[in-house]
Amino acid sequence: MKKVLGLFIVLFAVFALAACGGEEREPIPTANPEGFNPDTNTDAVNYYDLREDLGAVPLLEGEYTFGGVAKAFENEYWRTLKTGMETGAAKFYEGGINVTIDMRSALGEGDQTGQLAIVQDMITRDYDAILVSPITDGNLVPGVEDALEAGIPVVNVNDGIVAIAPNFVGPNAYENGVLAAHYVGQQLGGASAEGQVAIVTGMSGAFAARQRTAGFKETLEANYPGIVVVEEQTANWSREEARNLANTWFTTYDGSTPEKTLDAIFANNDTMALGIVEANESNANVDPIIVGVDGISEAYDAIREGKLDATVDSFPLFKGQIAVEMAIRILAGQDVPRVVHTPQALITIDNVDQSAETIIAWTDPEIEE
Amino acid sequence: MKNAVESREGLLIISILLIFVVFTIIDPIYIYPRNMVNILEQSVVNGFLAVGITFAIVLAGIDLSIGSIYALAIVFVSKFLVAGVNPFIAIILGIIIGAIFGGFNGLLISKLKLQPFIATLGTMSVYRGIAYIVTQGNPVLGIPDNYRSILNSNTFGSIIPVSIFILIAFVILTQIILKKTKPGTYIYSVGGNEESAFLSGIKIDRIKILGYAFSGIGGAIAGMVLLAQLGTGEPIAGTGAELNAIAATAIGGTSLAGGKGSPVAAFLGAILLSALKVGLIVAMVPTFWQYVATGAIIIVAASVEIIQKRLKRATT
Repeated sequence: MKKVLGLFIVLFAVFALAACGGEEREPIPTANPEGFNPDTNTDAVNYYDLREDLGAVPLLEGEYTFGGVAKAFENEYWRTLKTGMETGAAKFYEGGINVTIDMRSALGEGDQTGQLAIVQDMITRDYDAILVSPITDGNLVPGVEDALEAGIPVVNVNDGIVAIAPNFVGPNAYENGVLAAHYVGQQLGGASAEGQVAIVTGMSGAFAARQRTAGFKETLEANYPGIVVVEEQTANWSREEARNLANTWFTTYDGSTPEKTLDAIFANNDTMALGIVEANESNANVDPIIVGVDGISEAYDAIREGKLDATVDSFPLFKGQIAVEMAIRILAGQDVPRVVHTPQALITIDNVDQSAETIIAWTDPEIEE
Repeated sequence: MKNAVESREGLLIISILLIFVVFTIIDPIYIYPRNMVNILEQSVVNGFLAVGITFAIVLAGIDLSIGSIYALAIVFVSKFLVAGVNPFIAIILGIIIGAIFGGFNGLLISKLKLQPFIATLGTMSVYRGIAYIVTQGNPVLGIPDNYRSILNSNTFGSIIPVSIFILIAFVILTQIILKKTKPGTYIYSVGGNEESAFLSGIKIDRIKILGYAFSGIGGAIAGMVLLAQLGTGEPIAGTGAELNAIAATAIGGTSLAGGKGSPVAAFLGAILLSALKVGLIVAMVPTFWQYVATGAIIIVAASVEIIQKRLKRATT
């Protein structure tokens, strides 16, 4: 045992030596070391307003390769964002800007280091801009530091949030919850509505989960004081966990008394909302309004079939195009604000069959001649 | 050459070189210094985890909680640092935290006679829960730069990360502990045959607690290195990390049956895994095919031992 202790002391000595011998990394000024919240950022600009301000997209000279790093292509949402970025690059290519994009993703949402390795590879390849959707707020920080040091612009698309990235492009996650809360409030009878609702949250600590939940709860409190949140549990973005959770709730809330009813369930994403829909199929006791977030195709189908009531779509297909547009504007030297909020909308049976272009009034950006 | 093929470590080095050659032929970008550094940085965190879990595996056990201990070290050390604790003290406290939570696993396994898989499956969730409770699920921000520069600075012309040397020191240290000290040899005896170890008078409970404490220490240092790399203390970090550590250890030839294996082999296994992982990225292998390739390599590595034995039999 004594020998082990001795060896420990040696280990500490090694630590100390290593520390003294190490050359300090040039520290990069952290944009906001206390954490950065794009939803509450005071410089945030709505995409359409920005387009009006900045005018047509400058016609960039030369050849550009962008790198796009998504979380995980297993999830339809990220595949759509990939298509969006590729569509954006193709449209600008047709418009005369020689830009291509290399889209990649980590091996699942647990592969934090693999995602970092992708960013490092893109820096080695000297890409002209890197667009990242980090798995966590922290896992791509070293890569973003290195990219900025190498002079490569980094655009943070969607969450996680990289505090040191100079630009963020994505939906206002808080607003996701606000839209859902107003829908639930109106469906239950407006300002004087009374009812009991439950929230299924995403993974603890995830930015989108925190903000969507906060937006939903605070909007209910402020506008529909008669609606009470009676349950709030995480299902870790998982369909199965959400289904199990809802099954448990449907046993507790059997509709026998006003205290035992459940009028609405808000899930932080569609995958979980669809899990609740499955549980609801075999539930005859209560008839809750079910609302999700993301706008995945299965959610659209479920709305058409009347199984899901609403989802808040942030249109990854167009968000991807906007992200590419912002990267081009940055490379052209335009002053793009710290936060650009992309369009989102509530999808219900009323507009489920309208085209996304109609819903968010989308037109392709003009390119300078 | 023959010796190299016969020793596991030699074979691993040859395999790593082979990976380097293959990927360099596919895309010369692979041997750019930047990329080499990337491979090293990628192997460091998993290397600490793999060396740590080697102790549990040599004891014929497993430590599924190592990814959670990693997260615990991250959140506790972040909290200490933010509270103004000296970075060196914080690192020492982090190591102690690893030893305590790891040792607790050993306690459950030895005193309660729980199966290691079950015991650490339980603590995996308990420890992760503590990490979430301590931080309310939120990342800890504002890690001071002086801490980051201790574990994340670069040496030799500002290229090679210092953490790789700390890992090498840790590998040498644990190799010596396992091979040259009494408690180390007892770990092999207990893992190889618990009954005969007991009959020869070894205090089995103590050895198990010690072994799992080392597993925890490996997890804790991995966490502290990641914390220095990221500058954000995330309670979610290291979810699923135990599987990568087990993969590296298995590629290194440590048998899950216990009594065999070494930190050096686990370290080489971790290097091989990240050389492969980065290689697949550099070669732009489509995401979904990367799963197939990674799994196939683990299976091939595991079957190497059998081929080796046959070769030996054929040559003698």
